[in-house]
Amino acid sequence: MTALLEATDVRKSYGDTLALDGVSLRVDAGEFVSIIGPNGAGKTTLVNVLTGLTPPSSGRVRFKGTDVAGVGPARLARLGMARSFQLVTIFPALSVADTLAVAALSRLRRSTRPFAALSRDADVRAAVDEVAALFGLHDKLERAACTLPQGDKKLLDVASAFALRPDVILMDEPTSGVSTADKTTIMQTLVHAAQRMGVRAIVQVEHDMDIVFGYSDRIVALHQGRVLADATPDAIRADADVVRAVLGIATTQGRTQPGRA
Amino acid sequence: MSAVRWALALGWPTPLFLPVLLAAGLALAAVGPVIERLLRPIYDRDESFQLLLTFALVLMFEDVIRFVWGTAPHQLGNVYLAYGQVRVGALTVPTYNLIVIACSAGIAAGMGWFLARTRFGRIVRATAENREMAAAMGVDMTRVYARVFTLGVALGTVGGALVIPATAAVNEMGIELIVEAFAVVVIGGLGSMRGAFAGALVVGVVKAVAIATWPEVEMLAIYVIVIAVLVLRPAGLFARATA
Amino acid sequence: MIVRALGLIAGAALVLLPLAGVPYTTTLLLPAFGYAVALLGLNLLFGSTGLLSFGHALFIALGGYTAAALTGRFGVRSLELVLLAAALVAALVAVPIGLLCVRYVKIYFGMLTLAFGMLFYSFLYKFYALTGGDEGMRVLRPMLLGRPLEHLDTVAYLTGPFYYYALGVLVVAALVMRRLVGSPFGLSLRSIRENAAKAESLGIGVRRCRLAAFVVAAVFGAIGGVLLVVPTGLADPLLAYWTHSGNLVFMLLLGGFDHFLGPVLGALVFILLQDSVMSLTSYWRFVFGAILAVIVIFFPRGLMGLLDARRAAAS
Repeated sequence: MTALLEATDVRKSYGDTLALDGVSLRVDAGEFVSIIGPNGAGKTTLVNVLTGLTPPSSGRVRFKGTDVAGVGPARLARLGMARSFQLVTIFPALSVADTLAVAALSRLRRSTRPFAALSRDADVRAAVDEVAALFGLHDKLERAACTLPQGDKKLLDVASAFALRPDVILMDEPTSGVSTADKTTIMQTLVHAAQRMGVRAIVQVEHDMDIVFGYSDRIVALHQGRVLADATPDAIRADADVVRAVLGIATTQGRTQPGRA
Repeated sequence: MSAVRWALALGWPTPLFLPVLLAAGLALAAVGPVIERLLRPIYDRDESFQLLLTFALVLMFEDVIRFVWGTAPHQLGNVYLAYGQVRVGALTVPTYNLIVIACSAGIAAGMGWFLARTRFGRIVRATAENREMAAAMGVDMTRVYARVFTLGVALGTVGGALVIPATAAVNEMGIELIVEAFAVVVIGGLGSMRGAFAGALVVGVVKAVAIATWPEVEMLAIYVIVIAVLVLRPAGLFARATA
Repeated sequence: MIVRALGLIAGAALVLLPLAGVPYTTTLLLPAFGYAVALLGLNLLFGSTGLLSFGHALFIALGGYTAAALTGRFGVRSLELVLLAAALVAALVAVPIGLLCVRYVKIYFGMLTLAFGMLFYSFLYKFYALTGGDEGMRVLRPMLLGRPLEHLDTVAYLTGPFYYYALGVLVVAALVMRRLVGSPFGLSLRSIRENAAKAESLGIGVRRCRLAAFVVAAVFGAIGGVLLVVPTGLADPLLAYWTHSGNLVFMLLLGGFDHFLGPVLGALVFILLQDSVMSLTSYWRFVFGAILAVIVIFFPRGLMGLLDARRAAAS
């Protein structure tokens, strides 16, 4: 079976710095993969390469069988890959409805229609309502994104990625900057939305080990630009190298699974 | 940069001799702090707004000059040749030109020394690299900005003063020179002293060459170079690491 | 609602003005219409897409000189053809310039456009044989909708048929712009303005959209330019000078760039203001500089921003 998303021997150097040193990774449909690693391990670089923001220095990236190395985020989005960013990325002056509409229009391939009246597009309106409801933003549709509380901004950022109905969604630290109490809520929302919107695989970069171990089918541990381990959560926990390099001395105890993708 | 622009229009001197010329130029720099006060509220806004505000000030100053000195161009015809001429090889060059070159070199060297050696110079460079760090280390931003701005204005006024004996002082001087100053800064690179010097040389030489060979292209050539620089090396020829 | 009411009153006033028998004021407003059209385009670039061009006057000049070339040199007197030609020329020129400029943002975009504007100015100024140099090129009176209207003298022509023609062009331009702004394309532009990286990650071709906005703005600018030169009968290089672009931005800020009609208001107010200030004092530049400074510092949202405080608060 062709992998949904596949990186083969990806190398990326910035001048003298080798950020990624032969990383290979494979994501199949139905998987929830978490990428972990200490700061500087190359996680964000890897995400940037996978999402087409940065071309790799060498190596292959395939999405749904097509070569997509360095193709650019816009094209990848149209091919069915969405991403959310580590720092909250919103359209400050646009309303929640407008933000989601941008994604909906992109999915419907109507982004550049110059003479259609947006207000009369029923498809877009329905799509916006649906996504907003899934993420609990339906009562804030008319509010400008910059006026939302931080947690809602984060939700909006992720929601707009989901509104593309992507096949794969990559999230860079989806629960960062969010209070512990909210983290579970966000994850539940994400997983539920993924199921409803037909997202086939989720990849996340995450630091919170509870979240990582609680939701992942597979964990990929990066260290100094290389894949240290790529296995199920149980196997990772038992792997001493990973524990030392990534998890630190005090390992997390196992958790009962609250819900899986 | 913005200071140099309109300040060049202020380089109107009333005196007749070189030192007095310089002194007048320096004296007029007193408007510096006032202008800086005006610009302060918009430091954090998009740079386009700063450009606009400078434009507004240019307009205002044009009329101030008109008010104080009238609309007719002023000349200092006699002074130009007062220092005689010099033979350099096959060319006869007015001594004044050489004096101006010497003065510019002197001022440039002085600025270089100032930035590299004096305490304030170092503060200026630090602030340029990282505003927040400098402030966190106790540097008084407001005073630094005010002083730097006034310095820029002074350079502008003195520059304008030096140029006067060679050309007439016209009301529209400021506007025309702004465009050239803009070209100089873009070519040389924002934030680089060497760049400004190099940029000025490039502009001056290109103009001279153009006038001698294909006059129509004089202004055109400069803008083509500006566009080329903006495209190939947007930060200018002597770009700083932090633009 | 106040905005609507004021708008209707202003609109009615504009329509009825020629009948009031004040030819001075009527002809005074003609450049305002030209500027308004050009500014509608500039606002698509700035208000919607976030790109502030300091060289927009280039396209006004392009329109003006196209009109001069067609009516004066090639004997084409139909204003419709002239407008069409100006639009095409502007689009052709805007594509290569735009391709270059939209790769950069903020101050670099402003500087590049300024440089191109001045490049065109120097071309117009220096190539005497082609462009008439600083004397400019004459623009002959065009036919409106196929009617030569030779029997009318200049004032009657300008305050009558041409006034309504220009107003008509403005109305059409405004309607087109309204559609553009309210379309998916308009939303895409705004998303690019707010956060280009995010827009791209949502599948929007950022560079292509910016280029499209640039070309549209250029076309509107050229059409405005044609309307500008017909009353004066002259197209001269100063149309492309950077201070002319500066005035355009001034008008844009004065009217307010949030609402697509802001620039129309800005053009009208600017022209009227300029006239009254110029008659009061010869130091009008000072007054205008002061006004611009005040606007930049205190009222960056312009007049429309003042009128529609709610919209300003949300942004």
